[in-house]
Amino acid sequence: MKMSGAKRQAGSVWTGANYFILALLSLAALYPLWYVVASSFSSSRAITAGEVFLWPVEFNVLSYRRLMEDGQLFVAMKNTVILTAVGTLFNIVMTVLAAYPLSRRRLMGRNSILMLITFSMLFISGIIPNFILVKFLGLMDSYWGLWLPALISTYNLFVMKTFMEGLPEEIEESAAIDGAGDWLILVRIMLPLCKPIIAALSLFYAVGWWNSYFSVLIYISDTTKQTLSVKLYQMILQVDQSLLTNVSGSEGASQIVLTPEGLKAAAIVIAITPILLVYPFLQKHFVKGVLIGSVKG
Amino acid sequence: MSDQAVNNQAALIEETPFGEKTPAGKEWTKVDKRKPGAAIVRRFVRDRHLYLMLLPVIGYYLIFKYAPMAGEIIAFKDYRFVDGIFGSKWVGLRHFRMLFESTDFWRVLRNTLLLNVYNLVLGFPVPILLALLLNEVRREWYKKTMQNLLYLPHFISWAVLGGIVIAMLSPSTGVVNMILHNVFGIEPVYFMASSNWWPFAYTMSGIWREAGWGTVLYLAAMASIDPQLYEAAKIDGASKLRQIWHITLPGIRSTIAILLILRMGQFMDVGLEQTLVLQNQSVLDVADVISTYVYRVGLQNASYSYTTALGLFQSVIALILVVTVNRLIRAFGERGLW
Repeated sequence: MKMSGAKRQAGSVWTGANYFILALLSLAALYPLWYVVASSFSSSRAITAGEVFLWPVEFNVLSYRRLMEDGQLFVAMKNTVILTAVGTLFNIVMTVLAAYPLSRRRLMGRNSILMLITFSMLFISGIIPNFILVKFLGLMDSYWGLWLPALISTYNLFVMKTFMEGLPEEIEESAAIDGAGDWLILVRIMLPLCKPIIAALSLFYAVGWWNSYFSVLIYISDTTKQTLSVKLYQMILQVDQSLLTNVSGSEGASQIVLTPEGLKAAAIVIAITPILLVYPFLQKHFVKGVLIGSVKG
Repeated sequence: MSDQAVNNQAALIEETPFGEKTPAGKEWTKVDKRKPGAAIVRRFVRDRHLYLMLLPVIGYYLIFKYAPMAGEIIAFKDYRFVDGIFGSKWVGLRHFRMLFESTDFWRVLRNTLLLNVYNLVLGFPVPILLALLLNEVRREWYKKTMQNLLYLPHFISWAVLGGIVIAMLSPSTGVVNMILHNVFGIEPVYFMASSNWWPFAYTMSGIWREAGWGTVLYLAAMASIDPQLYEAAKIDGASKLRQIWHITLPGIRSTIAILLILRMGQFMDVGLEQTLVLQNQSVLDVADVISTYVYRVGLQNASYSYTTALGLFQSVIALILVVTVNRLIRAFGERGLW
């Protein structure tokens, strides 16, 4: 196959333009995050004057220092870590307990149970009945009120079940002939084979918990149990005046007044830093998880 | 895990005397044909550990999925917490009548549908276009890098992204207004407080978060197109654009169709958290949707029954849409949701 010179040139112009457009778009996706980082390190004067665009103007870390002195954001972060770690563990245990038996075609009544589960995915009961249930069970202001109603994501359950159905049955059979029971087969044979899907689903569950906002908003009012998202959004709506005017002792005489914008920016940066740090390592699992799920959703 | 393995799996399945599908050659699944009753017991005993595993799972679905469904009956009652669900008085369809007579209902219904239309018309094609661009990149490291950067916003919560959107669009300190002012000489625009601009800002922020992530399935579909088709087209002298038009787009047609139909199934819902963090008092006339209304009026003003009626209305319409959509998927000759 031979291309004429003009055509080859047109091809490379096209390719160049494509690379350029993509670079532009991904910068556009990233810029708002970068803008917040730049703001968080800028002086209150520069922020108020609208001078921050690409780089921090009059670099300083006062907003961060103020947030650290206040400490509430770190309590919220610790809470979020606990909520995420325990929540994800519960999710995975329950999803495995559901997916393994339901992936065994010999199980009597399997279709009826699957139908029960599928219907619950189609008819979504509203906010209020769920709220009343959690209140009735006495789970308000407790993380159990967040964990228990969200033990299984039905979609993720189906992803794992499909994965398990695709594993070669011979391995399980030979173990059964050797006298292994269902629990032993699950723990010693299925779980190791399911590592990739468990990794992917753990990440989906964990991101969900890390970002959870609405359920925390309606079920948790105890401020010592507040999580990052809710704490952060409260700050975004209204920065506590005491955070702005107080001067740290070491600064002495100089009365430094912070802007709400600078504080909010610093809070946002603190909140997303953990995600940015783990993101490069997790990225391939995310994509794999979506693709496994799409084989048959 | 590949489709191949799933297909091999399917080939191993045969029918048993009880019509249940079991893997071929599995001696321990063959049970007595003559005494069905005894056979059922034996199968139950054999799989007792599997049922034990399912016990908490079934309990979970009954308590946390089906009990709230039953709880929907308070839409037909005057629910008071002290009386409980069963003790509260029946009022028939009164709450529904109130709902359909209130201007609030029509306002939130209109907003829900409108924001959905914006999301669909502006947001749905973006991941497809993005995937087409990414698919043309031959340098693997460049493609991977671009994908990772574009996926990123999807993993950040709306509480954070909402804060960033508000900061960027602020009329006094936001960078968007700064550029508009310095480059085009335009007076500051109150994006988040203006009923005209809010839906636009809302839709754009949604695209920002989800467009990159939305390319995953399209890229997978594109990767499975036979490369020989492109080779043949090149020999025929087809330009890049012609190749995209005649090979790539037809190749992902069924993916587009399924995703479009699935998207239609969520038509009664707009992202609760996104709406909640972006809305404010001055734009409620365009920003108040069913779910945020239920939250505000139902939970904060404790009118439980009235807003449950609204939620029930939404759920029933959504259920009808999902069932219809599934019919459509099957009519398209694709595998449905069930």
